[in-house]
Amino acid sequence: MRTPEIVFDEVSKFYGEVLGVNRVTLNIPPGITSLVGPNGSGKTTLMNLMAGLIHPDRGTITVRGLSPKDPERLMRVTGYATQYDAAPRGATGFDFVSTGLMLYGYSRVEAAERAWKALDQVSLTGAANRKVAAYSKGMRQRVRLAHAFAHDPEVLVLDEPLNGLDPLVRAETIALFRGWAAEGRHVILSSHVLDEVDVISDQVILIANGMIIAEGQIRNVRDEIHEHPSQFIIRSPGAARIASMLFELDHVTQVKLQDDRLGLLVMTRNRQEFSRALTRIALGGCGIESVIAADENVDALYEYLIGGSR
Amino acid sequence: MNTPFRLRQVRTIAQLELKRVFFSRRSFWVYLLALLPAVIFIGHGIDVKVRQSRSASRTVSREILASIQLGDTPESVIERAGEPIDDHQWNWKEQNREVAHRRMMYFDGQDRVNLHFQDGLLASKRQSPLINAEEDRKVFAGVFQYFYLRLAIFFGCLGIFMNLFRGEMLDKTLHFWFLAPARRETLLAGKYLAGLAASIVVFTGGVALCFAAMLWPQSAADTQAYWQGPGPAHLFAYLAAAALACIGYGSVFLAAGMLLRNPIVPAVVLLLWEGINGFLPAILKKLSVLYYVQALCPVPPPLDASAPPLARLLLTPSEPPPAAVAAIGLLALTALVLWSASRAVRKLEINYGAES
Repeated sequence: MRTPEIVFDEVSKFYGEVLGVNRVTLNIPPGITSLVGPNGSGKTTLMNLMAGLIHPDRGTITVRGLSPKDPERLMRVTGYATQYDAAPRGATGFDFVSTGLMLYGYSRVEAAERAWKALDQVSLTGAANRKVAAYSKGMRQRVRLAHAFAHDPEVLVLDEPLNGLDPLVRAETIALFRGWAAEGRHVILSSHVLDEVDVISDQVILIANGMIIAEGQIRNVRDEIHEHPSQFIIRSPGAARIASMLFELDHVTQVKLQDDRLGLLVMTRNRQEFSRALTRIALGGCGIESVIAADENVDALYEYLIGGSR
Repeated sequence: MNTPFRLRQVRTIAQLELKRVFFSRRSFWVYLLALLPAVIFIGHGIDVKVRQSRSASRTVSREILASIQLGDTPESVIERAGEPIDDHQWNWKEQNREVAHRRMMYFDGQDRVNLHFQDGLLASKRQSPLINAEEDRKVFAGVFQYFYLRLAIFFGCLGIFMNLFRGEMLDKTLHFWFLAPARRETLLAGKYLAGLAASIVVFTGGVALCFAAMLWPQSAADTQAYWQGPGPAHLFAYLAAAALACIGYGSVFLAAGMLLRNPIVPAVVLLLWEGINGFLPAILKKLSVLYYVQALCPVPPPLDASAPPLARLLLTPSEPPPAAVAAIGLLALTALVLWSASRAVRKLEINYGAES
């Protein structure tokens, strides 16, 4: 009986003297799990370790009880859509997916049937006979996805799977992920956009500098995220008056009037409350020209979460 | 997962890879290498055929040509034998005086007769066949050993087999195979078989074409005699040697492609190793592909006595083992290299960042 989790036990990986990931211990249950971190944080390293494309220097990994050192068994239950195109030169989308299936032992006919089904699920049947080299970024993303799940795996590892997708396909793809998760499969995806994973993930693993800095159910991590002070720049002819009103609010920790007295730098611990307060102030007759988030990027959050140690 | 399933996977991988190896842009220069000698032999054959047809229209009987003696004048020769096929005249200053030279050529239906006149008298008469089958076979033996074995198959296999893993690493497509539910050894076997099939088809095809082009201009009698004699055994030996060279060099370059990034390094090292094989102690000689395949070559290659001493040293083959020992030895060497490669492929990691 295989365990249903993906387990990392004290896993470290170095590329020469460069750290990939360091002493990672994780126990990932089925469902949608997002690995979130800035570029170079170690997300792809974790995924490559899971799929056996690289080997840990220390520690052990099991994927639903299987070792990544045994690709013959592991890849029957795992599908991995990497960030690189794997299609052979000159291959069409259909060739790419069906060829991969033939390595699972499917006959040509079975492989073709499964390939069409997978391509249909990512809305790519119309372009299936076009060469992958001529695909747009979004289409390549979709064909990689089809290739990863065409053999109906229990574990799907997807490196930045929503990159380059238009909103409609993005929504369809997210629905696919949810469907798989509901069937008890693992859907492990990486992203550097926090807001994106916020709406789709059951679990989130925040990673920076090769170390896990937060993990768990999205609700808990979200609280941690929401406590992160956010900065906004407000432009208004009545900046001084707005500053005095904002000072009254508990969640506002800092207000700084700019030299031209037409701009404010505001730091708040609660974005939603801040947004509501600004609406009230604007309705009260203070003309607000613009509100710009000064640090609304994932790097700033990491800076906060890891205590500015980077 | 059982052995028949793994064998099916090997076949599938080989079939998929074969298309890539055959139609890859990187393979075109390999075709050129394999076909170059055939093109040269075909050119030679066309030249012989043209000369044969020109000469055949002006054949002179052997009796008339035999009657031509030293001291005859050109006029008396033309009176008996008619106009020659070739006729060149020139003057040459020798010992402060101008000497008139004239060269005329006749054809008796098989041999050419060259007549050289000095100051209006026949000074020399030389008879030679229009085409020398024996000489052509020696030339072919030289082309096979010096060009095919030492250069074309060597560099062709370097191009084909190094690319099986290294090329995919550079193209960032190797993970397609590593993410398949197949043991790494199965993948290695499939890729090796694909490279082997491609290289054997290309190089034995090139050798066979070259062999046919060598025989093409020869007379029907010569060709028939050769086919009824040693011809089939020679052809088989050349094809077997070419195939075994692909097997041996293929395994070495497949392994090198996994361990090294720069193909120039293994190419230079192996080329030097193969070159100095004749001087190595007996035990080290056995670690050479050339040592075994040279033993299968049926005709010793010509080696010009005027060649520089170093070239003669490098080109002189070492004492060959018996053919059966050579074939078994090469296969054993290949098995050893492939076993090492299978250990290396298990540890191979996808690290595209390090490649760019």
